[in-house]
Amino acid sequence: MYKARHAWGFLAIPLLLLLLFTFIPSIAAFVLSFTNYNVFTPIEFLGLENYLKAFQDSDFKKAMFNTIYYWLLVTPALVVLPILVAILVNQKLRGIKVFRLIYYFPVLVSVVITAILWKWMFAKEGIVNYFLSWFGIEPTGWLMDTSTVMIALAFVTIWQGFGYYMLFYLAALQGVPKDLYEASELDGANFWKKHLYVTVPMIKPMIFFVAVISTMGAFKEFTLMLTMTDGGPLKASTTVVLLVFKEAFTNLDMGYASAISFILFVIILIITLINQKLLDNPNT
Amino acid sequence: MSKSVAANPSKQGFNRKKLISKFISYFFLLLLTCITIVPFIWTVSISLKGQNDVIFSIPPQFIPNTFTLENFITVWNTLPIPRYLLNTVFLTFFGVVLPLIFCSFAAYPLARMKFKGMNLIFILIIATMMIPNEVTMIPVYLVIDKLGLMGTYTGIIITGAITPLGIFLMRQGFKEIPREIEESAVIDGANVWQIFWKLMFPMVKPMLGVLAILCFISSWNNFLWPLLILDDPNKYPITLGLYQLQGAFSANTRLIAAGALIALIPVIVVFIAFQRYFIEAAYSSSVKG
Repeated sequence: MYKARHAWGFLAIPLLLLLLFTFIPSIAAFVLSFTNYNVFTPIEFLGLENYLKAFQDSDFKKAMFNTIYYWLLVTPALVVLPILVAILVNQKLRGIKVFRLIYYFPVLVSVVITAILWKWMFAKEGIVNYFLSWFGIEPTGWLMDTSTVMIALAFVTIWQGFGYYMLFYLAALQGVPKDLYEASELDGANFWKKHLYVTVPMIKPMIFFVAVISTMGAFKEFTLMLTMTDGGPLKASTTVVLLVFKEAFTNLDMGYASAISFILFVIILIITLINQKLLDNPNT
Repeated sequence: MSKSVAANPSKQGFNRKKLISKFISYFFLLLLTCITIVPFIWTVSISLKGQNDVIFSIPPQFIPNTFTLENFITVWNTLPIPRYLLNTVFLTFFGVVLPLIFCSFAAYPLARMKFKGMNLIFILIIATMMIPNEVTMIPVYLVIDKLGLMGTYTGIIITGAITPLGIFLMRQGFKEIPREIEESAVIDGANVWQIFWKLMFPMVKPMLGVLAILCFISSWNNFLWPLLILDDPNKYPITLGLYQLQGAFSANTRLIAAGALIALIPVIVVFIAFQRYFIEAAYSSSVKG
């Protein structure tokens, strides 16, 4: 009953848009990385020069280091903490749905507003320092100090993201058969043992999934740094994508920026492939 | 219940254990709630403070000495916040409606029609879902520039008018509709266009709801593309407006706080009204890493 012209009729505008804003850019991102494109001078083919430059560029190395550091701060926390929160909100308690909604809400807040809110929280005389003073910790300018800025940014990411991953674990928890818990309780398992030996093995696929999603998120993050610290102080919070952004739109060195973003793409692709392998393997 | 508890000491012990666990649960639930909402409460507090109230102090002062709505009035009247909000509403309207239409257009034949090339197109779309937007950011910018769309709303709207994820989701939606429905419509003499609009489109409403929520969040919060594309401050959406105001008026923390809250209110309202869809949307969005 359908004819080919119907199919192409529906697909015409979408394909045109995809071509312009998805397909062509995907290829162009790769092609540009071999050129010196900088908007002003005529485009020239450079071969692997941009890539060789990247591996010698101290800014790139620093950005890579910052990104990995940020990832190590963010991902373990976002893998583990939301499990505990999901267990907490998976109980039948009065008002539990309201708690779930509250925890999820920060996910919806624009990065600009998040940055504004947390700049005040991390101010020298802000709430964070006040809270820490209860434990005898001296106040510091979190976002002004190269050694603490990433920790502060990671904390904001965890604050904003734990409710998102909580939802995934919640869905996974609801698939765990209840009698497994009852059996382990009869065996005298306490809270921690029960969840370590029942919950964790049962939701393992979801744990992998969250690890991968949050890893990709960490490697791609830059708007939080752009709005909160602008990559500073002294580039201590410049991530790889923020470097791409600055090289491309501040220095207009789009060829070089494309090479960096392509290196990032390869890293993300490798993570995806490792994940696929792990998920396909029935032993994991 | 209470009778049997009194009569059975072991059950009483069980109930006490339950009570303790309930107490611990609520303790952590409230602790997490505090951590989650403290930045918002703090912002509300700042926005209500008068000129003589201190903003930053240790210990912090959450309750202002002089409550005032003056900051909100000042922001509304002297800063271009209403203008920014209007711009955001405009951008968000197209940022939601266009993807709903175009993603459905693309998904409908991919889900229901079998022709040469359909599979290839679908594979291409899935493959590009693996490429992060951050990687294609530069070429997309250049395409917008080459099309002469710099400084225009079209440039912002068009980059979000169709997404591989949206096509993927809508295809799932269309796939679930039983074959018989189209066949009976054909017998009734409906043409393909009518089948699509009158029959199929209304049947994917739940998936449209999910996609609408995803598009609403990304459009309302869109910051990167307005930053890259717009140069005229009169055209700024609220996110970009606040970002610039924050730089320019960093001295006036109270006004920025009021402005941030004004920008948050629509998100809170939509969230409360459509909470079920938001949860669904969160699961769907994870398809794209």
